[in-house]
This record gives sequence, C-alpha cells and structure tokens, in this order.
Amino acid sequence: MALTISCPICGKRNGYEFRYGGEDKGPKPAEKDLTPEKWVDYVHMNNCVAGVQKEWWFHRDGCGSWFTIHRDTVTNLEVEQEEDHEKA
Amino acid sequence: MFDKFKPMWGKRPQLKKSYDAVIIGGGLHGLATAYFLATRHGITDVAIIEKNYIGFGGAGRNTAIVRANQRTQENVPLYKEALDLWPVLTKELDYNLMFNNCGNLNLMHSEAAMKAARMTIASAQFQGVESHLIDSKEAKDLVPALNISRDITFPIHGAMFHPPGGVVRHDAVVWGLAEGAAKNGVQIHQQTAATAINVKKGKITGVETDRGKIKTNRVLVAAGGYSASIISEMLGIRLPISVLNIQAMVTQPLKPLLNHVVSSGAYHCYANQTLKGEIATGAHMDPWPNYTTLTTAYYIKHQAEALSQFLPCLKGVKMMRHWSGLADMTPDMAPIMDGNDQVEGLFIDCGWGYFGFKSCTSTGKYFAQFMADGEYPEILKPFTLRRFEQHKLMGETAALVNYSADN
Repeated sequence: MALTISCPICGKRNGYEFRYGGEDKGPKPAEKDLTPEKWVDYVHMNNCVAGVQKEWWFHRDGCGSWFTIHRDTVTNLEVEQEEDHEKA
Repeated sequence: MFDKFKPMWGKRPQLKKSYDAVIIGGGLHGLATAYFLATRHGITDVAIIEKNYIGFGGAGRNTAIVRANQRTQENVPLYKEALDLWPVLTKELDYNLMFNNCGNLNLMHSEAAMKAARMTIASAQFQGVESHLIDSKEAKDLVPALNISRDITFPIHGAMFHPPGGVVRHDAVVWGLAEGAAKNGVQIHQQTAATAINVKKGKITGVETDRGKIKTNRVLVAAGGYSASIISEMLGIRLPISVLNIQAMVTQPLKPLLNHVVSSGAYHCYANQTLKGEIATGAHMDPWPNYTTLTTAYYIKHQAEALSQFLPCLKGVKMMRHWSGLADMTPDMAPIMDGNDQVEGLFIDCGWGYFGFKSCTSTGKYFAQFMADGEYPEILKPFTLRRFEQHKLMGETAALVNYSADN
C-alpha cells in the first residue's frame, strides 16, 4: 500500500517525496560522561515496533521540513495521536 | 487426489512441557539449525515454534538466488560454505533442492564500479571463490540478450562473473530440511506464536506460547524480520535493525533466454529465469520501516524501466505476480549472530537483510555447534552485537546506502 505522510506545511503528500528520519529517540545524550554503550544506543539501536511508533520524517522533495508523526508499521497508515506512547 | 493432507514433516505434535532447545521461527535458519542439531550433535529434543506456517516469511519470498561473492573477508567464507552445502544437503536429505549453479553476472556501469568490483573479486579469489572481471563483450557472449550499446541510461562497462552461484528452489529447501529435521526427532509446531521469553537471574528458563508454557535453557531467535521486534519487546534488548519491505515479481513465462542470474546495482534490479520460464525479478525497497508485506505499483514501473533498458527483449512482457517480504537491515549490511552474551542461553540470528536465504545452510551448521557446546564458533565471532559499540562495523557496502535512517 502506498504511503502518504502529512507534512505540517504542505499537507498530505505521497510518501516517496519524503525521507524517513528514524525512530524518535528523544534528545541527543549529553557529551559529559557519555559511554560507548549510551552513544551506540542513541545512534544505532531501534525498538523495531510492529505497531504504532513515533518517528521523524524529512520533506526532501518538498518544503524541507523535519517533523514527527505517528505511524502504524503494520498497516503503513498514519495514526492521529496527541501524546507519546513510547517508554523513553 | 483429495486424500487427507499429510505433511512430510509428520502430524501436528503435542506441545511438550520442556525441550532441550527451542527455536523461534520456522524459516530456513531455524530449520537448518534444528536439522544440524539433530544430525550432527545428537540434540533431538528440539521444538521449532512458528507463528504462521514454515517458510511463510523470507524463506518463501526471496528470489532464490545464491552466491558467495560478498565483500569482506569475514563474510565470504560463510557464504562459500553455504554454497558448498547445497549439493551435500541435496544428497543427504534425499530431496531435490534443484540447485542450478548457472552463475551470477553482476553488471558494472561505471569505471568506479569496475574498481569496486576488482576489490570484491580479489577478496573472493583470496578466499578460494571463483569470480572474474569481464568486459561488456564477454558479458554479451554469456547473455546474448544483454544491451551493451552506449544509448541507455547506465551503459554496461563490464561485469563481475561468479560461476559457482546460481539459484536454488527455496520451497524445496524448506520442505527438505523440515522432513530431515522431523525424521530425526525435531518437533515442528506451526500456528504457534511465542508470546514471552522467560529469564531468571540472567539465564533463559523458558518460552511462553499461545499453546502453553515450555521450559528450556536454550532459545534461538531466528524469526527473520520479526526477530528484532521480538527481542526488543520480550527481552528489552534493542538491536541496530530497520525492518524494510523488499518487493519481487515474475513476468509471464517466456522461452529460455537467460541462463545466468543477472544483476545491476545502478539499475537496482536483479533477474533470473525460472525453470517455468518466468523472469523472476527483484527491486529495491521502500526506505521506511514497515511490516506490511504489501506491494506497490511504483516498483512494477521501476522493474519495467530497468529491465527494458539492459534486456530490451523484455519490452512489453507482462508482470504476472508480485509479492513482498521483510528485510531486517543493519547499518553495515552484515548479520548479527550472537549468543550466551546478553542472557545465558539466548542465541540471536538476525539482521540478514536480503542475504538470509543464501546463508541459511552454513549458518544453521554453526549455530547448531554453538548451541550444542556453548562455544562461540570462530567464524561467527566477527558478527557479535558488540561490534557496534566497539565501532567495528563491517565493510559490506562499497558505498553508503539510504536503506535506513542510519546512513
């Protein structure tokens, strides 16, 4: 099924206009006392949720905005969601 | 004709209360590991837990291509052994796996690609894998249907020819291994989903399923695209994986015209002709994680454009079937094979991306050895999950790809 993404500026557009920016992992960890484990967790590790996740997108072939949406990875459909469902 | 259905791997067994080892995932990696556990290590009290039916995932969705021309010295020997095992298993299982070592032709479309191919070929030759660099005329001699003229988007400069590769009938491997494993005492539980993995004091104690609890001290997670989500959800261990959808399709059957596997990095296209005559062709993938296994018209168009350029005789041929499967991509395009580290008794075999089929035989062999004696086999050690925090990523990609958000 083709993916559509709602850009906050351009509205609902074809998914192929966008670049996926990764799972929402919160702010970058502070550099003070940063261990390789914490850094690799932020850079590479994913939850790989089969369900709804909060994620970043970039409107590459459009306005260039970076924004987050909630999407169900099992149906590939955007989900309206006000609050975050992730643990971290 | 309409007799009662009797699977080759026996009737549906009763789920026992305990097993010596439990394997989550009835795909090729799980089946091969169970087969080798039973035949090489005498561990026959093994349960394979499969949520759907065996071969439902990547095992039945790949384009059946096998080859051993990977890029790094850690990967090549593993794939070489996997390739060498097809004829051995065909005999041993007494099951025709239909291994056709027709050879792989990897097209190169620029001088830079030729340079990259030279390095891959040197690595292969160093590891004793046959692989040569050929020019476009020699490629045309091998595949007369090839368009080597200059007037296509990516003209063909040459190719990497890897004669020992080819295609294997993937369903036959599923059925052959399932039959072989079941004959040796392995229980295959289809329609049985793992719901939890139990851990006590850092050790595996059991697996919970929707058909009951199982006690065991060894669990292998080899659930293909779902491995990362299972491991993260049930054990809280996050993996450097993005699960993407990769699409493939076949054309209507044609007279024989392709007697090699032909692939092209620049066109993002690979094709081989099945014994039925269909051109089985695969595409790139949608670069965002999803578990849909749905298909898009986008890739039919993409395949048609690519194929009609370098194999122009396919212009106007119709696509007949189209499907998709999950590819669990790691940032360095190499798998994660680990065990007895994060949790004692937990074995992880995932992150194969789209290389899971061609590697299943040797991986099964080494995981069986690992699970039997608890010693991390030397050949698997470079694939540890810890390589990411040690910043020892493997160089399986010649150039960064934008499959995931990681690069």
